[in-house]
Amino acid sequence: MDFLAILIPLFPLIAAAVIGFGHLFNKINGREDEWISVAIAKTAIVLSCFAAIALLASDLLGLNSGTYNVGQWFASESFVIEINYISSGFGVIAAALFSIILVIITRFSVNYIHKESGFHRFFFMLSLFSFAMLYLVLSGNAVGTFIGWELAGLCSYFLISFAYDRPIAAINATRVFVTNRIGDAGFILGIGLSFYYVGTVNWNEINGIADQLTMPTATVISLCFVVAAFAKSAQLPFSPWLARAMEGPTPSSALFYGAVMIHAGVFLVILLQPIIEQALLVMGLLVVVGLFTAIYSFIVGLTQTDVKSSICFAITGQIGLMFLECGLGLWELAMWHLCAHSIVRGYQVMTAPSLLHYVHGNPMKPVSSSIVNVRWLYITSLQRFWLDPIADRALVRPIKGLGHDLDHFDKNFVDRAMGAPKPAGNTISSLNQLEQKILGTRQDSAHEDFVRSNGVVGKIFEWGANIMSWFEERLVLRGIGADTVDIGRKLGQAANTFEQLILKPRYLVLFVFVVLMIAASI
Amino acid sequence: MIEADFPLLTIIILLPLLGAILVGSIRDNNLAKQAAFFIAGLVLLLTLLVLFTFDSGQSGYQFVERYEWIPVLNIEYFVGIDGISVLFLPLTALLTLIAIKASWNSITNLPRLHFAMLLVLESVSIGIFCALDTILFFLFWELTLPPFFFLIGLWGVGSQRRHAAMKYTLFMITGGVSLLLAFIVLAANHAFYTEGSIPQALTFSLPVLLSTPLADNLQMLVFMFLLFGFAVKSPLVPLHTWMPTVAMEGPSHIVATLVGLKLGLYGILRFAMPLAPSAAVEYSWLLSILGALTLIYGALIAIQQTNLRRLLAYASVSHVGLVMVGIASLNMQGLQGAIYQLINFTFIASSLMLIAGFIKQRIGSTEAIHLGGLAKVMPKLTFFYFLFMLASIGVPGTSGFPAELLMIIGALNSHTVLGIVALSGAILGAAYMLSYTRRAFLGPVTHKSLNKVYDLQPKEMALLLVPAFLVLGFGFFPDYILNINQIASQEWLSRLVTDSP
Repeated sequence: MDFLAILIPLFPLIAAAVIGFGHLFNKINGREDEWISVAIAKTAIVLSCFAAIALLASDLLGLNSGTYNVGQWFASESFVIEINYISSGFGVIAAALFSIILVIITRFSVNYIHKESGFHRFFFMLSLFSFAMLYLVLSGNAVGTFIGWELAGLCSYFLISFAYDRPIAAINATRVFVTNRIGDAGFILGIGLSFYYVGTVNWNEINGIADQLTMPTATVISLCFVVAAFAKSAQLPFSPWLARAMEGPTPSSALFYGAVMIHAGVFLVILLQPIIEQALLVMGLLVVVGLFTAIYSFIVGLTQTDVKSSICFAITGQIGLMFLECGLGLWELAMWHLCAHSIVRGYQVMTAPSLLHYVHGNPMKPVSSSIVNVRWLYITSLQRFWLDPIADRALVRPIKGLGHDLDHFDKNFVDRAMGAPKPAGNTISSLNQLEQKILGTRQDSAHEDFVRSNGVVGKIFEWGANIMSWFEERLVLRGIGADTVDIGRKLGQAANTFEQLILKPRYLVLFVFVVLMIAASI
Repeated sequence: MIEADFPLLTIIILLPLLGAILVGSIRDNNLAKQAAFFIAGLVLLLTLLVLFTFDSGQSGYQFVERYEWIPVLNIEYFVGIDGISVLFLPLTALLTLIAIKASWNSITNLPRLHFAMLLVLESVSIGIFCALDTILFFLFWELTLPPFFFLIGLWGVGSQRRHAAMKYTLFMITGGVSLLLAFIVLAANHAFYTEGSIPQALTFSLPVLLSTPLADNLQMLVFMFLLFGFAVKSPLVPLHTWMPTVAMEGPSHIVATLVGLKLGLYGILRFAMPLAPSAAVEYSWLLSILGALTLIYGALIAIQQTNLRRLLAYASVSHVGLVMVGIASLNMQGLQGAIYQLINFTFIASSLMLIAGFIKQRIGSTEAIHLGGLAKVMPKLTFFYFLFMLASIGVPGTSGFPAELLMIIGALNSHTVLGIVALSGAILGAAYMLSYTRRAFLGPVTHKSLNKVYDLQPKEMALLLVPAFLVLGFGFFPDYILNINQIASQEWLSRLVTDSP
């Protein structure tokens, strides 16, 4: 029954392709075609769900061999990437669970998104996401998992910006995607290092020789994947993206950040159990980050006043606990926790809009009296530990500033240093320049006779005086005087700019970076 | 080396040239356009024929044709293709066809000259990919200048198009001089090596030069000359400043050709490194640092850009840096990834530039401040923009992904730190593309006039459909490209690795 593993992600992919191309070529468009998109998306995900349950059943009955290899996807020398699936173990359970949740949420969205513009777009994204997530949990190699990983992030981008005409939604979507991209870089680094040290990217083989790896190797490889997992599961220091991501429509929030995608990080860590167990440092990191995220989420959650954001911090807190469990070696517990959390939270986020309705009249539980008067904690919590501003200061602004300076450098120095001709229209671009030019021409013609006289002696004196005056004006005053001041001013400005630049920490960092780069490549 | 029984490559090179004369001499503008289109289509079919009859299992050059040209100096007309160059032929032809169609109605001034120039450009570009004689290569290389000069200078969209054309030409001529010097040194070296006298024993044929040993100090000289010449065209930082100027001033379909065909990188791959192998290995650190610098420099400046065409120019510079890092990793993954990415440029970077052209044509600007909410008024254009944008940042499912993955894996395996630099470039890539997207395509429609803008017309959509299918096709089946250049890449690598100490 191993072959079922191919079908599970394939159905939603086909659905996504049909809806996508149909919508692009105007075959599926408008309100009257809504049922077509729905029918395609629903059928596909229901079929996947049946296949996933059948795969799980046959795995429980012991009919699965564990892996299923379709063939080579692409290869470059020894870097071979296959299309293969893991058909037993936690991945299959996760696939079955996720596909059931996907069916429920797909059905839920039909009514929720009904008559909104972007209906077809939503179901296209939903199907693509279903493919991504199911492929992520079933793929037998790191590149396959990465494909699911990245596509899920992309769908999340598109669904956060679902109402793209709202500027906040667009800003948040961009920020979330770029933050996730940092984690993705960690994932790719992990793939590269496992290829370098282990010579393969198949999960089974990497895990298989995990006990032969030395501890530093195992640490480095697993560290990369764990960083990727932290970013995807919104752990510290990446946590703030989750609150931004809640911008999307409720069903997609439920699916991505309540039930399914947010667990991808924990899933990856569980998948890499053998290799992570070789790296004590990484286990410790899991404990520390998980614990701190749980505490952070608890504290920040206390001051949240709207449903979505308080749920959002509840999610990161629970997931922090899952990482903590993994770090302590309680893998089984983490798996149970993941499944249970995914069901409960999916329901909770879906019903979030009516949650207030349900709890109406029930008084809120007051905050524990021991921390109720701690002012600094209250402010910290309200400010969400200043994580977003810190990231802005430490990363976004320096990078933007660097970009700005380089742009200036490129236009004013590199371009000039190359000695290319200036465009003719550009020579006078401001009033100031024009004024200077006029002043300059006046100075050129300013030389007038110094004295006037009669007689031979007088003429000789006049002549001599004029020469002296010309000399004085041309060479001494203009050559040394005016120009020196001008040059001096320019030099001063340049020195000033240089000083200011040097004072900015980004240049220091850049300098260190360049030195490291040179040192490493020689 | 397999000799051709039928001069297919010569026909492919000459057909557009003759077509250009034909197009120039037809009096009727409409008929001339049709003729240009027909000829470009025919060339595309012929190049596809080459591609399908090309045997990727064979090593060495195929479709080789060799005639004496200037016997006194032993300069030959010597063309042929191998696994590295074969795919560029149909893609160049496709790009020309798309450029012709994209400028179909927008060129009203001297249309016959314009389409003739486009065909000349096609002919010499294909010539560059086929030439196996260094002087023939140099001839084609320099012959790209007149068409580009006129196309940018006469039909540019910016007010300083003449200046842009002049700047481009001056840069390229500077690069060309150093190429010619290097080729002469190589030919003279062959004469010294065979102990022949100068005019008789000179040779400019690439296979012969490849098998002629070169002293170490000369290798360095040749390598630096060639590197400089090709770096100007690629372009690598700090020789890139012509790129944004041309992107702002030039007509979008020409800029699309310019960013699509990365002739400079092809030159480094085909000439600079194999001709001076031990220098290339010795200075691979220089190449990779130049590449990493270009990658980060371009990406950081791109973050600051508010104009799509300038942004794409810097993005293209940044991608060139990544390819350089890939090539300099000197392993199979890096090399194949780099070739893959060069092929990607012909349909990803160029299509993005075309889309920028469509926006410019409709709204008169690609500055973010004049746009905003384009997704609402032009959903189809936005779809294609997103597809190509995602391909350019290497999202899985598009052809950008295998290329970027291979290059990064290659870089990680040879210079780990540079691999990490390349990865940070990938993060920056997402940042600059998406932040422009946010400002121009998402958000509310701020300018009322935008509401009246037409979405993509079927004709324009057809221009983007073929590249879109290539993006998805090569994204899902990357093995096709990798298999074609596998043997050629192995040969390329073994030459560098065995010749090095």
